Amino acid sequence: MPVCALNNMIGVGLFTTGKLQEIEQIAHEYDYAYIKAALNFGFLTRKEYVAFLDRSGFPLIDIRAEVIDETYVEQCDLQQLNAYLFLPVRSDGRGTLTVAAADPMDEKLRSTLEIKFNTKIRFVAASDLDITWMVHKLRGEFYVKESVFSLMRKDPESSGLITFTDPQLFVIFTFIALALAMLTFSFVNIFIFLNVFFSGVFLFAILFKLYIALKGSRYELHETVTKDEIKAVDNSTLPVYTILLPVYKEDKLIRKLIWNLRSLDYPKGKLDVKLLIEEDDDKTLNAVRDLDFPANFETIVVPFHMPKTKPKACNYGLFFCKGKYLTIYDAEDVPDSDQLKKVVCLFRKLPRDYVVLQGALNYFNKNENLLTRMFTLEYSYWFDYMLPGLQSLDVPIPLGGTSNHFKLDKLIELGGWDPFNVTEDADLGVRVFEKRYKVGVVNSTTLEEANNEPFNWVRQRSRWIKGYMQTTLVHMRNPVNLVGKIGWRGFFGFNFFVGFTPITFLLYPLLLSFFLVYLIFDLESVRVLFPDWVLYVSIFNFVAGNTLMIYLNMLAVFKRRYYELILFAMCNPLYWLLHSIAAYKGLWQLIYKPFYWEKTNHGLTKMSHSAAATAANANQA
Amino acid sequence: MSLSNAQIRIGSLLLVLYYVIAAWLFHRNGFEHSEALFYTEKLKLLFEYPDNTLITLGTTFPTTMFIGAVLFSPFGFLFAPIALTIVMMASLFYNMAVDLNNTSLPVKSMLIVLAVMFMFHPMFLYAAVSGRNVAAIMLFFYLLFRSFFQYYKSQTTYYLSMASIYLTCLIFTEINFIWMLLSFFPFVVLISIEGIKVTKGEQVVFQYYQALNNRSLRRKLANRTIALYLILFLLPLGAVYLYRTLNAAHAGDATYFLTSQYANWRVTGTISLNTILDNIQGNNVGKQTQIVFQTFAILLSPIFIVSLILFKGKLYKLFTVLTPLILFSIIMVDVKYYFTVEYFVIINVMAITTLIYLGRVRINTVLTSWLLIGGTVLSVFAGAYYFSESNDPEERQFYNLANTPSSWLQPKVTTEAMLLAEYIASIASDKRPVLIDDASAYGIIAHMPGLDGLIIPIQKSFVTIIENPTLMAHYICVAKKNNRLHNFTVLNVYNVGLMRANLGLTPSRVYETENWIIYSVQ
Repeated sequence: MPVCALNNMIGVGLFTTGKLQEIEQIAHEYDYAYIKAALNFGFLTRKEYVAFLDRSGFPLIDIRAEVIDETYVEQCDLQQLNAYLFLPVRSDGRGTLTVAAADPMDEKLRSTLEIKFNTKIRFVAASDLDITWMVHKLRGEFYVKESVFSLMRKDPESSGLITFTDPQLFVIFTFIALALAMLTFSFVNIFIFLNVFFSGVFLFAILFKLYIALKGSRYELHETVTKDEIKAVDNSTLPVYTILLPVYKEDKLIRKLIWNLRSLDYPKGKLDVKLLIEEDDDKTLNAVRDLDFPANFETIVVPFHMPKTKPKACNYGLFFCKGKYLTIYDAEDVPDSDQLKKVVCLFRKLPRDYVVLQGALNYFNKNENLLTRMFTLEYSYWFDYMLPGLQSLDVPIPLGGTSNHFKLDKLIELGGWDPFNVTEDADLGVRVFEKRYKVGVVNSTTLEEANNEPFNWVRQRSRWIKGYMQTTLVHMRNPVNLVGKIGWRGFFGFNFFVGFTPITFLLYPLLLSFFLVYLIFDLESVRVLFPDWVLYVSIFNFVAGNTLMIYLNMLAVFKRRYYELILFAMCNPLYWLLHSIAAYKGLWQLIYKPFYWEKTNHGLTKMSHSAAATAANANQA
Repeated sequence: MSLSNAQIRIGSLLLVLYYVIAAWLFHRNGFEHSEALFYTEKLKLLFEYPDNTLITLGTTFPTTMFIGAVLFSPFGFLFAPIALTIVMMASLFYNMAVDLNNTSLPVKSMLIVLAVMFMFHPMFLYAAVSGRNVAAIMLFFYLLFRSFFQYYKSQTTYYLSMASIYLTCLIFTEINFIWMLLSFFPFVVLISIEGIKVTKGEQVVFQYYQALNNRSLRRKLANRTIALYLILFLLPLGAVYLYRTLNAAHAGDATYFLTSQYANWRVTGTISLNTILDNIQGNNVGKQTQIVFQTFAILLSPIFIVSLILFKGKLYKLFTVLTPLILFSIIMVDVKYYFTVEYFVIINVMAITTLIYLGRVRINTVLTSWLLIGGTVLSVFAGAYYFSESNDPEERQFYNLANTPSSWLQPKVTTEAMLLAEYIASIASDKRPVLIDDASAYGIIAHMPGLDGLIIPIQKSFVTIIENPTLMAHYICVAKKNNRLHNFTVLNVYNVGLMRANLGLTPSRVYETENWIIYSVQ
């Protein structure tokens, strides 16, 4: 039996031998300290542990307020500090080194450190979270710099650090100059040309979407993994699965998060869950500290470094992952309980070149207000129809923000996420395709919290649209090269789904207002811009485009039987105007603050956790 | 036994060849359907007249037929509509033959059914060689109901969407099919009931009772019914709304495509009941009343009766099969004109669709095969009977020609429209133009080698010239009183009389046929 705090806890009846045996196994597999395994795999609450330490004569010190002698810290690797939860504080000058440890009774650690530092060790107790915070702050610099610049170094062409390249600026300004010059030369004709051209583009993009959605709807009931296959899975053969949970100031959601993780049908010891929190996010850190029940995740503190984005945090988390597969969830996500098993089964079934599987996303608070209903319709058609359609056409799939499951080694090979791209997931989807790997779609859903507040919605959407613009600019730096990598089909698919999405939102209010000004005011000066045939085309595009978009949204209700939402699809033209506002905001930010991460506030829903869980169960049924 | 796709393709090509020969025979014997000539004339306007292309392209109805004819225009304007209908019929055959893989019935017998129907059934032959919209109706009707049956099988939204698209095509082929909106109602409600969670295993009546009386289930039922309805009808209704808006913007009238004789052949082409009563020929019109019409349509299609005998499925499937009969009831509410072959032929199409998707062997395969073949042969004779009793002169002409094989290889018949076209072409020039109104004279213009020397309504000056033809026209082509279309044109004998009285016009007759007179007005 190891000599450690947990062993002593057994002695006073606060812990069990059975649990310790389980912990031993986990600690061995992950190369963690026992106490880390106990606190992060749901065996022990921090409050109980702190009380025990206190009673045992190890009151916690505030390690964050201590003066640290960094010469000792520099002799330690971050991985070791993080795994064994200790931090050398300072030497007393008389041959004793004070070390803050989460488990001050760990004799194995003591002897290891005495050999390492060739000095006597005096343990003081400190909170594991504070130690984690400190070690990452003090020793995380190399890792965080790698997280930010690694992709840029390995594959500069795919990095979004440079938003506009010189040739791109040249093309854009040439186009603008040419358009202005021609408008000066022949305003009416060029205006008509641009109007018809862009309305054509608009309609074509929508028709293409309809085509993809129809293709996707053929696979509506196709189950890539069946329930019987899930039942047949032998738990002992399952690999370690990493879940990354990047959060920022999500203190209110921590409890919910734990419940959601607990409902996952996957062996507890094989879930390597990482809660990635930013260095300045004491709110979330304290929420974890104050939990009344055992946490089933490990906290990783991401040291401060610009840009402060989710992909940077995820890249940082990658250095500490232990799994064979990896997925990302948001704090409020409620995945189907069998999702991870389904992914494992599907990866086993699919050819080796499939390196990512995207799960469907939907919302548990769909009926909260008009915005959540529209959001639900949009996500339903996107994930239930468009993604399978794209997969069937074998074109790049822009990954969704969460519930994308990777083969960890391949993800590392791809260079992780681009920290400068604010839709790093969509970008990664294209990069996967560029490297001739494939993205699949798994028949499992994660329920999220739909944004129910318009300003919050615009913030979130502006980031997404800005990210699509960034992704387009990055991958279209060399179109010929891109065609070579992903073929013509992939090239068009990428441009229609990623490139044209912001363009259609930017164009929509312009085309609409020109047309409405003409129709309502019938001004003489405007009439000249709408000769008969242009008017014909404009009316056609306006009515046909909007009708088809409404139709697409209506399709969305069928798979999930959200029949009560179908009439709300009629509001799509208004919803698009909201998109347009977000698109212009995104464009403005692309120019002035390209890497700025518009934070979406979560936890605004009034829906209780139990209601969300009911929604999840209904969804799975 | 099943046929490979290559074999079916060869069969379809042979069918095309067969139809082309049949069309050639009918054409040389003087059978040219006025609807086909209407499309031909519009093609000429589209390709040979530089102005108002948008009006011609955008308002000519039925859109599917006209746009289809545009695609086939390289084969010649006269042949384009017929080529289109031939290809549509071959495509229908191809689809049905491919779908035979789904049938539970003996495939050999079903192949015989298909072959006999497509080659010898007069309605099918008429649909292929007439250049009318009948072939398009049959094709889209089949695709529509096939989508429904596939939806029943797989419960996948894709098939509902496809049904919606085909319904749009069907409506843009024949506007009366918009009333499918109502005729779908029974089976859509039944599908909804089927889809909600009522106590399975209970009697159907009890399930319906539960669905209608439990508050929560009733709400679900209403939501699902509305959802199904909307997904089926949004596209067709949106398309019709769009088309109306475009017509309102460009022709000043939202219903221009339905009511203008310049846009829609139906305005002049259908035979009103009054006309039939004035000049009774044929006997079918007498059956145009509620219930009798449906019964008559079923009797004309014994294969449909066979399909009902071999039918096996739930109630909503049966209601789906009966949809055309419900449709008849709805459109029969306001009968204004004689219903021609398209309304009868869809019963045959429905019969074949039902056999393919819902037919089951009864008693034994031999009896089932005999039933199928017997029903088919009787249907062919019933089809011939329909034509022999038809009140539509062009359908009767088709029947008479088909029924007298001895005339098939007689010298080529020159029709009245051909004669007139030839004469007008010989006199018309830019200096001596002919005023002609294509509202009724589209058949003549369709045979003209070009539009030079003609003053037609598409020209802006037409309205002025019609007020006083002597201003610019040298000749006018006038519909005589016995011309069935004389009421649809301002260039008729009545108006010529007015011109004589008001303008002092002294026209001299230079050419006359049974229905037309050409006057010199200078």
